[in-house]
Amino acid sequence: MASKRIQKELADLQKDPPTSCSAGPAGDDLFHWQATIMGPSDSPYSGGVFFVTIHFPPDYPFKPPKVQFQTKVYHPNINSQGSICLDILKEQWSPALTISKVLLSICSLLTDPNPDDPLVPEIAHIYKTDRSRYEETARQH
Amino acid sequence: MSSDDYGDSDYGDESMADYGSEGSDQGYGSDGDFAYSDDDGAGMSSPISKGARKTFIVLDKDELRDRLKAAVAQAVDLLCISDAEATRALRFYKWDLGKLQEEWFGDPDAVRHKVGLIDEQPSTRRAEETCKICFESFPVADMHCARCKHYYCKDCWRGYIQTAIDSGPSCLDLRCPDPECKAAVPRGVVVSVADAPHRDRYEEFAVRSFVDDQRPIVWCPAPDCQNAVLTLSDRLGVAQDIFCRCGAAFCFNCKEEAHRPVDCETVRQWMIKNSAESENLNWILANTKPCPKCTRPIEKNQGCMHMTCSQCRHEFCWLCQGPWAEHGERTGGFYNCNRFKKAVEKGEIDEQEQKRAHARQSLERYMHYWQRWAENDSSRKKALEQVETFKGKQQEILSDRTATPTSQLKFIIDAWMQVVHCRRVLKWTYAIAYYTFEETAGASKEARDRMAQHQEFFEFNQGQAEHYLEKLHHKVEKDLAKFIRGKKGEEEAGASGSGATAGGGGASGAGSGEGEGDGAGPSGSGRPDPQGAWYTFREQLIGLTDVTRSHFDKLVNEFEKGLDEALKEYDVPMLEVAPSLAAAAAEASSRDAKGKAAAQPSRRVTRSSKRRQDVGEDSEAMALEEAAGFWQCRHCTYANEDMDAQACEVCGQPRRGANKQ
Repeated sequence: MASKRIQKELADLQKDPPTSCSAGPAGDDLFHWQATIMGPSDSPYSGGVFFVTIHFPPDYPFKPPKVQFQTKVYHPNINSQGSICLDILKEQWSPALTISKVLLSICSLLTDPNPDDPLVPEIAHIYKTDRSRYEETARQH
Repeated sequence: MSSDDYGDSDYGDESMADYGSEGSDQGYGSDGDFAYSDDDGAGMSSPISKGARKTFIVLDKDELRDRLKAAVAQAVDLLCISDAEATRALRFYKWDLGKLQEEWFGDPDAVRHKVGLIDEQPSTRRAEETCKICFESFPVADMHCARCKHYYCKDCWRGYIQTAIDSGPSCLDLRCPDPECKAAVPRGVVVSVADAPHRDRYEEFAVRSFVDDQRPIVWCPAPDCQNAVLTLSDRLGVAQDIFCRCGAAFCFNCKEEAHRPVDCETVRQWMIKNSAESENLNWILANTKPCPKCTRPIEKNQGCMHMTCSQCRHEFCWLCQGPWAEHGERTGGFYNCNRFKKAVEKGEIDEQEQKRAHARQSLERYMHYWQRWAENDSSRKKALEQVETFKGKQQEILSDRTATPTSQLKFIIDAWMQVVHCRRVLKWTYAIAYYTFEETAGASKEARDRMAQHQEFFEFNQGQAEHYLEKLHHKVEKDLAKFIRGKKGEEEAGASGSGATAGGGGASGAGSGEGEGDGAGPSGSGRPDPQGAWYTFREQLIGLTDVTRSHFDKLVNEFEKGLDEALKEYDVPMLEVAPSLAAAAAEASSRDAKGKAAAQPSRRVTRSSKRRQDVGEDSEAMALEEAAGFWQCRHCTYANEDMDAQACEVCGQPRRGANKQ
């Protein structure tokens, strides 16, 4: 079930690649993917290229995939380990979601951080109180 | 278990009037379980007074399911919706049918939207649909949807639903896998795709939510007990004693062991106090002094005043806590520490000494109540063990020996259970006494007198209840043992053929037997009338069980009513009674040094002390009856309220000791 569905998703991604991201198996292992996300143009991450690893659990799609940034990101919802605090990767996961939808959600998270549910409270604080400093720091990363 | 009354039971209305629904179950009555909720009274009397209104219903798994079904059926009838929809809506409204009904008739679409009861199934179906999870195409007939427009294949539904069930009771609120769709997954889909173990878990979660979401229903907290209890009391949030069919006795409100008449908060405090380090601290405060240098507590159990701290090697004087180096010839010798005296004169040490004395006193007070609490607890546990032993082999032996069918031996189990119940109540009365009669600093003299009066009254009632309990306990433990042992004695005699053995056994039984009955000792093989002794024992035990029960009921009720109220009922003038009572008590105790009752001053002591000149058990019992406000007929156990009557109002038999007047 899992590998069939992953293969279908891969075929879809190749046939109809989403704008500003790409994804595919990192090696021979179908359950281990590598993805790239281009920094959204309307965000301080514009121009950056972010590498992301994706691990599919054996009971995918009924359990969410594990998605982690490899590139360091200065963001209230992404910590220094690359872990992402995103509801659809946790309790709001649904088997009707796909990797392409997940990557698009991550793109929009880069544009619109969620400082009220932060993974890194210090960044969230700066984001809320001193937006220009946040944008400046994010650009430098 | 009868369930015929569930069909039309008025669920949602908490005053459900199916009190008798438990009565049809004979299974647990006969094996001597706690069948408190039994109303058929087939020889079973519970520690709760006869005739008392039933205040709770014990429900086993099947009954719970029946009630759940009945609740759903009612919602189906009222709202004209499907079974699955009603289940879902009721769960959403925490099984509050009234609220669901109100909102439903206000705006059914809003409720449907909130709960997720939507109906968007396309009317014209295509023959094939793509599963939105595995992206394969299937004939629509092989697919399911949550009555919305999102179709998924059976395998994907199974994966989705079973993963949800594995992750816990939130599976009951499962929605369509589409992130945008709020449609509730109907129970029908779950049942048709999940495998049997998952289906069972789902049903179990459903029953669990039925109990967990409703305040008037709780699970029995006993380990391994699967029963739930529905309270019929409308006062949620206050202590209510529950007796589950499994034998557990617990408080509906706090789930601790049953503890009437104590309130839940006091129980909590008491339990914390018992376990907390605070008492250790008190002990340390009472019996140690801190090292003046390193402040570590030091206990001095012997030796001279020259102390050396084992921790910091500081040498100091125990009396004045000054450094030892300053002690010596010039301060008047080591054992005559005049610095200490000076300090007391100046009042420097006074405060600390006082604190220590106070701590010592309060520790002693706590120990007094705690010991009694703990002793009664262990008595209760032992009694529980004994009733199990009795139910095992002893019952058979006794039945054999007394030629009484085991079904008629239930009065013994009743007596044991009464002992267990009363030990628990008594135990908790010591916890309340500890808190209720605590000296409060700065209380007015009036308040203090009032408290002394309350305490005296309470302790009198407690003492009286305890007196009867001791008698009952003795009878059911020691006297019963004689009947059981008697059988063994006979067996031995038969086996060895030696008459001496039998005679010895018989003599010992007869020697310590109850002298009151006209029958011979309860033992004694080959004695003329063993049945007579057995009959007397039976009568006495049943009577004593009833008397003990009524005394404990009184104790509990009076405390719950408030001691002021209770005192009023005895026509005791407020605040004036205390000195006269004390005087009467002193008088009584000097006159009747042997009676236990003397230690428990009676309210009408002047009147009853006249009668007490007839020394002996009768007068003692009568004094107790006098104070209790009724006397129990020995023959029919009716509680006569006319204290001057010489014969029972019901059966006309003469009152005990009446002829002696």
